[in-house]
Amino acid sequence: MKLNRRAFVGTGIAAATLSAPMVHAASHGKPKVVVVGGGAGGATAARYLAKDSAGEIDVTLIEPTRSYYTCFFSNLYLGGFWDLENLSHSYGKLASDYGINVVHDWATGVDRDAKTVALAGGGSVPYDRLILSPGIDFVEGSVPGWDLSAQNAMPHAYKGGSQTELLKAQIMAMPEGGTYVMVAPPNPYRCPPGPYERISMVAHQLKMNNPTAKIIIADPKESFSKQALFEEGWQKHYSGMITRIGPDFGGGNVTVDPEAMTVDVDGELIQADVVNVIPAQKAGLICDAAGLTEGNWAPVDGASMVSRLDENIHILGDATNQGDMPKSGFSANSQAKVAAMAVRGALTGSRVFPAKYSNTCWSLIATDDGVKVGAAYEPNEEKIASVSSFVSQTGEDAALRKATYEESIGWYEGITSDMFG
Amino acid sequence: MSKSSGLFISVLGGAALVLGVAYGWTSRDYRAAELAVLTDRLAQLEHSNDDLARRADQAFDLEARLATLEADLAAARQAVEDAKQAASQPVAAVADPVQQPEPDPVIADATGLEFGDPSRGEQVFAQCRSCHQIGQGAEDRIGPHLNGIFGRRAGAHDGFRYSDDMAMMGADGLTWEIETLNAYLENPKALVSRTRMNFAGLDDPQERSDILAYLRQFSASPQNIPEAAPTAQAREVELSPEVLAIVGDTDYGEYLASECKTCHQQDGSDRGIPSITQWPTEDFVVAMHAYKRQIRPHPVMQMMASRLSDEEIAALAAYFAKAE
Repeated sequence: MKLNRRAFVGTGIAAATLSAPMVHAASHGKPKVVVVGGGAGGATAARYLAKDSAGEIDVTLIEPTRSYYTCFFSNLYLGGFWDLENLSHSYGKLASDYGINVVHDWATGVDRDAKTVALAGGGSVPYDRLILSPGIDFVEGSVPGWDLSAQNAMPHAYKGGSQTELLKAQIMAMPEGGTYVMVAPPNPYRCPPGPYERISMVAHQLKMNNPTAKIIIADPKESFSKQALFEEGWQKHYSGMITRIGPDFGGGNVTVDPEAMTVDVDGELIQADVVNVIPAQKAGLICDAAGLTEGNWAPVDGASMVSRLDENIHILGDATNQGDMPKSGFSANSQAKVAAMAVRGALTGSRVFPAKYSNTCWSLIATDDGVKVGAAYEPNEEKIASVSSFVSQTGEDAALRKATYEESIGWYEGITSDMFG
Repeated sequence: MSKSSGLFISVLGGAALVLGVAYGWTSRDYRAAELAVLTDRLAQLEHSNDDLARRADQAFDLEARLATLEADLAAARQAVEDAKQAASQPVAAVADPVQQPEPDPVIADATGLEFGDPSRGEQVFAQCRSCHQIGQGAEDRIGPHLNGIFGRRAGAHDGFRYSDDMAMMGADGLTWEIETLNAYLENPKALVSRTRMNFAGLDDPQERSDILAYLRQFSASPQNIPEAAPTAQAREVELSPEVLAIVGDTDYGEYLASECKTCHQQDGSDRGIPSITQWPTEDFVVAMHAYKRQIRPHPVMQMMASRLSDEEIAALAAYFAKAE
């Protein structure tokens, strides 16, 4: 690497401004940035690059789906608080208002020497800088008896869209007094409070439509995000409905049978009506295909989200191993802005400032009962480190909880317009 | 089927037709495709029909509500006329509130609204001060100053940039009187749907009547604003002249602002989270320092402000003051 990014940013704004290099060779027209994945990381990075470079950079966004369904807020759809169509977003403005070349195709591999991305539909796209934001895939065999062919019988609903719809339909079709089982994932995974917000929303839905139904969580983790807040809320709103089996009682020792619709928790067989299997997770497949992973995740340098294994590739969001930030849409959006600034600086000589990151995760427990957790982060030599944090308190009054929920709706509108224009 | 998905399918059907011709389909294929298009159109028409029926119902309901409201308004106007004639003097000229601490007993209209206790109102008004100044020397800040608010037409105070909705309501005749201010304070967005005032509303009628009594002191004779009024310039946090004088680096501000925009929408939308676009620089700086020193309570904002230097706050303020 010609330039030590960490030392470079560490010298401060003034030095960064003076020494911002023109790395890009002008031999083949405008510099090209390819972004793989059009979620909270990729769409934001593409939009900021196109917007801030004002035509100086060619931006291509590769994303297989034409309508993006956010994973965040999909639990509210399960609970009946949010419409499916309000989870869906189009890439139209990124193309029409920002001039981004939106390619609806699968990126299947990266030739890091030739600096090209291969597409499932044939052909390849060249890049000067590549940004990968592929989200998660599942670790095969992490829940014995389950694989992707079983995702209709036992949905994960941990990627937005059809799986979310399927799970909702199954919940609504549960027989009176039926049983919903969630197989919760081990750390680290996308959206730490997500499974527990989902439990809250399923409980809300069942309380309205099927109040004698039961919810069982088989959980391999000792503790989980916002645990005190969720448990307080479950006791208050859904008393007697939810049972969580933690690792001490075999919650980590689970086998499923999608044909029989049974879940074996440490030798005890549960006959279920809905089984929501959220498997262990790893970086989106393309990271592995491109040789950018160590273990299950892609290591990055928090100063600019550049891969620790390739100086021309930045990686964002859930797929990364970066340090303290949770895998969340908010985090990916925050990381995208730092990466876009760094890439633009490298390709056009624009000013580069020290990275700052933040995250807030809102969760809805019941009607107008919202809570949140968040932190601010800055990179150091080792990792992206938390510098301050907060979490909602148990026993907060109803007005504050309602305001928190309304704030989360404001955030949803804010981040989706920050992603899609 | 939603309207848009119906349209989408019929567009698909149309595309299938065009493709069908291009790829030399048989006439049977063609008719099948045509049938599909017609079926979709039928579904669309049925949908529009349902929609029209629903809207007709809504229109009927609205007409009925309008009639009720018009009757109420006529009664209220009559009552105001009666009250005016009954009063031998103009309603209490409150030149000096310190010497007239008694709540104003005059019932202002037929809705039974009364002015409450101005000194309690002053305390309630504390939450308004971050945006509104009142009293001697009051100036427009994030919101307009409120001297002479009673009797003022909505959205009509010169030199303040109102939301389009507020300006339109004023042009349509909205004037600030006890009943309109009471309604606005109860639920600002119910009265002026896209007002820029980021305030959820005061549920407690007593708090509203107290605050109205406080505001009214600065309106009864606008030329004679009481000397004894609390100073309009009190800041939430005391900042040194050096801090206030920092000229922000707007480029840096733009980068820092990208973090704000995850929640605060640039176009001024403010559902659940306030808009901060085009705030006056000094108000922005004061607000951020108030969060940083944990004088303002919001935990996310305290966290975000806690790691910003004086220069970074100035940079953000400079950027947002000019953001479009």
